[in-house]
Amino acid sequence: MILEVDGITTRYGALTALHAVSIQIEQGELVALVGPNGAGKTTLLSSIVGLLHPSGGRVRFDGKDITGLDPAALVVAGLALVPERRRIFKDLSVSDNLRLAGTTVAKAMRKQRMDEMADLFPVLRTKWDLSAGFLSGGQAQQLAVARALMSQPKVLLLDEPCLGLAPTMVDVIFDLLAALRTRGCTVLVVEQQAQRVLSVADRGYVLRTGSIVAAGRGVDLADRSDLFDTYIGGS
Amino acid sequence: MTDLVQNLIDGLGNGSTYALLAVGVSMLFGVMHLVNFAHGELLTIGAYVIYGMRSKNISWWLTIPAAIIAAVVLSMGIEFVAFRRVRAASAFTLLLTSFAIEILSHATWRIGVSSTPRRYQPPDIAFKALSLGPFNIEVWDVVSIVVAVLCFVGTAIMLRTTMFGLSIRAASEDFDAARLMGVKANRVISGAFAFAGLLAGIAGALWLVRRGQADPRMGAEPLLKAVIAAIIGGLGSLQGAVVGGLALGIAEVFFRSWLPSDLQGLTDSFVFVVIAVLFVVRPQGIFNVQTAERV
Amino acid sequence: MIATASSLRRVAVVSLVGNLGLLALVFGGGLVYASGGSSARDLLITDLLINLVIVVGFHVFIGNTGVLSFGHLGIASVGAYTMALLAVPAARKGVLIPKAPFGIPEIQLTPFVATLIGLGAAIVVSVLLGLVAARTSGLAATMITLAFLFIVRQFAENRKDLTGGAQNLSSVPRLAGHTWAVIGATLAIAVAVFFRSSKTGRLAIATREDELAAGAMGIEVFTPRLLAFIVSGAIVGLGGILRVQSLGSIGPSQFSFEFTILILAMMVVGGMRTVTGAIAGTVFITVGKEITRFLGDGPHFLGFDWPVVDGLPDLFLAGSLLAVLLTRPSGLLGEFDVGGWLLARRRRLPTIAGHAGPIEPAEPSEVEAHAAGELRTTGLCVDFGGFTALEEVSISVEPGRIHGLIGPNGAGKTTFINVLTGLVEPSSGTVHLGDQDLAGPPYRRARQGVSRTFQNLRVFGSLSVRENVAVVDLVAHDHRSHRPRVGVDELLELSGLLALAERSASTLDYGSQRRLEIARAAALRPDFLLLDEPTSGMSQSESLAMVADVRRIAAAIGSGVLVIDHDLGFITNICEHITVLDQGVVLAEGTADEIQRDPRVIEAYLGSRHG
Repeated sequence: MILEVDGITTRYGALTALHAVSIQIEQGELVALVGPNGAGKTTLLSSIVGLLHPSGGRVRFDGKDITGLDPAALVVAGLALVPERRRIFKDLSVSDNLRLAGTTVAKAMRKQRMDEMADLFPVLRTKWDLSAGFLSGGQAQQLAVARALMSQPKVLLLDEPCLGLAPTMVDVIFDLLAALRTRGCTVLVVEQQAQRVLSVADRGYVLRTGSIVAAGRGVDLADRSDLFDTYIGGS
Repeated sequence: MTDLVQNLIDGLGNGSTYALLAVGVSMLFGVMHLVNFAHGELLTIGAYVIYGMRSKNISWWLTIPAAIIAAVVLSMGIEFVAFRRVRAASAFTLLLTSFAIEILSHATWRIGVSSTPRRYQPPDIAFKALSLGPFNIEVWDVVSIVVAVLCFVGTAIMLRTTMFGLSIRAASEDFDAARLMGVKANRVISGAFAFAGLLAGIAGALWLVRRGQADPRMGAEPLLKAVIAAIIGGLGSLQGAVVGGLALGIAEVFFRSWLPSDLQGLTDSFVFVVIAVLFVVRPQGIFNVQTAERV
Repeated sequence: MIATASSLRRVAVVSLVGNLGLLALVFGGGLVYASGGSSARDLLITDLLINLVIVVGFHVFIGNTGVLSFGHLGIASVGAYTMALLAVPAARKGVLIPKAPFGIPEIQLTPFVATLIGLGAAIVVSVLLGLVAARTSGLAATMITLAFLFIVRQFAENRKDLTGGAQNLSSVPRLAGHTWAVIGATLAIAVAVFFRSSKTGRLAIATREDELAAGAMGIEVFTPRLLAFIVSGAIVGLGGILRVQSLGSIGPSQFSFEFTILILAMMVVGGMRTVTGAIAGTVFITVGKEITRFLGDGPHFLGFDWPVVDGLPDLFLAGSLLAVLLTRPSGLLGEFDVGGWLLARRRRLPTIAGHAGPIEPAEPSEVEAHAAGELRTTGLCVDFGGFTALEEVSISVEPGRIHGLIGPNGAGKTTFINVLTGLVEPSSGTVHLGDQDLAGPPYRRARQGVSRTFQNLRVFGSLSVRENVAVVDLVAHDHRSHRPRVGVDELLELSGLLALAERSASTLDYGSQRRLEIARAAALRPDFLLLDEPTSGMSQSESLAMVADVRRIAAAIGSGVLVIDHDLGFITNICEHITVLDQGVVLAEGTADEIQRDPRVIEAYLGSRHG
């Protein structure tokens, strides 16, 4: 098991956003995490990568306990997050965004990694020296993913990669998920479009109000008729 | 016309010192939203190092690097001891903390050395002047301008090409996102303090070679000017800080030469009034782009 | 409101009594200390009391608005110079400043009249500086006030004809004894205590807690801040005048930056938000400086000859300020006020007679009588630098109705509310409330009749639950009086918060904070209540309870409701009419049943599987 979240509880002041959440991810899996707004999906990812400090539970990655470690240390260990709303550096050029993201890579390897990213995302090469602020939403999302891949992570966490994208761009992102999977990259993706992402994922988890309410094979979850009810609050 | 050029040179000489300090102030604001009023104390420590070493007749060639190193070390020390503990605090607490450090430094020098100024003899080059046609140019002004320009160019290259420079720019824009890319928070902040300290040390050396004395409160006034310069340029914008510093230096010289003699002493006040008006009209500074708060 | 006002007055009176008691204690202690020593000790007491006046003055602005000012001693300087110029005997002025303008060398007023005029001058300057400082905020205000302090000093140093320059203007008529200092401190404390409980003070505190939320509740930031600045300037001006009268001379360096830091340290170390904190900090720093001064003078003490150390008191000052900032930034006493403490010791549980059960909804006829017309947007477009957040959105919400707005993450729901309440400018389109154009800054729109809650919770954290609602009720009293009023405690009862009324809002759990936001928004008596994800992060049972709460409150205040949620179950439960937003455009509209069956809605929510 490459990533194991064991009973994580996270609080914001008086609010408990996650109640002892546990998930497991095996090497090479594409795992989808779905659930309504406010369920705690982003909180869970932030707790895994150390942007938030859980008040209880452990996170194990690649055999080591990484609970409460600094995000920078986790990047070195091989765990990268593409944050919600992309958060690319708009004042930096596209190539500088990538270069910065290679901060943990040996200098000799950095150039090569950047070239690989340009091959993987040809559109970025056409904007190479442009400020990232000029990218469209879809291009920015590709840059955000490329940035995370710079450190050659063992596990990639994606937070709502399709947010605010036009339908054709959403297709591009889903193609990318498929491509990552065939490359053997381990991925945990949070996505609003539940049925679609579950049908391409190996396994899925459904989070609601801070707890896992369903888990299983992606296609099975996608077919569950009660999923829509979970999503919309049920009745 | 000769007056104009002469004023311009004088103004650029003063302004380059402000600008060097202002770039540091602005950089620290960028990475941790702090207006560091303790930054001027880096000049003070430089002055006491010069006084101490010169009173033992150690060469200026050793003294100046030592003063600059002292500024870097103190800058990093202040971050490590104080600002690291209030990193997440409100702007209010950060600002007051920097003032507290400033006062603490004043008191330390008073107790450790004396409240009366300590003098040292400036080197000959400090006041040497060359006559170039109608202009009377002081060599040290030229040195100051050249060194400052080198520093600005060096800073620009550093920010564009080095990983450290990229981390500073990225952290100024979105600190958490930079951490997610593997940038270590402590390292980038500590590095920013070190770099700002280096620029302050150089600014101090340029200024102190001529000044000829060290006293506990000497850092306050130039720092205030630097903060104003950084604000004119828009806090966080480094190009803005350079322009702000030079503009302030030139404005001062021109106010001084144009104001009637009985208003001469009010030069700073006029500058302040201009800044205040600027603030009301354009609170985000000249260069800075406003960032909206997410609701 | 009547009940709240009288209970507030009671708090103010108790706080005044408590703080004056504390003042008496300090003064008494000082007298004991002075009785055994030199006249220097006597001067120390006067000094402490006058510093206290100034610290309390700083507290009135900084403590209540949360804006840091460095300029108040500039105001004190202006007031004190005015007083001194008018009160110094004409004979002395003829020698010191013979060329002063406006015939000043010939004027000689009694100290009392000169003091009043000096105070007037301080107030005039406060108004002018306040007009600038209250318009900007945060760092800008701090820098402007700092600049002002330097301008005043430079002016005093350079206009030698008027001020005598760096040479002090001596022969200011002196006040003997402690009497005036005691009167000054008493006055300052009284004004500070009553300002804090006044309407202006409470509005200022709300803006301190959360400027954005205050605006959304119809509270304008500028006026309360300006008034706080003026009151604070007047007190500091009085302190400055007393100080000069106690010293007998005035010079440009008297009201320096260093003195400002001393005053700020006193205020921050004790706790800047309360008068008790101001008193405690002033005493702490004064005593500490006195001890370090004694030690620094090289005394023979404890059988040991101490070295002479210059600057020890400053080291103490800076050290204690730094220590407090690094370890306890809210000050040694935090929010503690002796008045609140006295009240808490003798408080009985609040009892509200006659409201044991749920309150009946208002009569429909009454509701209709106050209906303001529909809330209508036409062709709203919002563009965030190339990203279209809203595109041609036209929605109308009927008065008295509960209308739902749903859609997946990123659909533009919160942006829509932000446009209605004035936080986001649309690139095109209009918003109307009845036949009125809904426009202007957020506070004005709130007063026009829309109030809101925030998705990420913006209660006034350090205020009590009751005060959160009561302060908005004050605004409603002035601007929404044509609408029926539901009392503060009734609103708390309707929201199930009455038992928690005295708790400070930041200590509430998440769900209660959400309910408090709704109660607070309802207190404005809006035509439309806009709720941004009221059930976000709530469990199913909490959501159900929320349905009932929102219905009751809307019925009680007779307002329409626009509620945003992602939770279709909640929305269909509560709303008669629903609009679905996706990717910034209106996807569907209709009743709950129609929406739930609409395949486009299901797709927007779950994403098509083969898309």
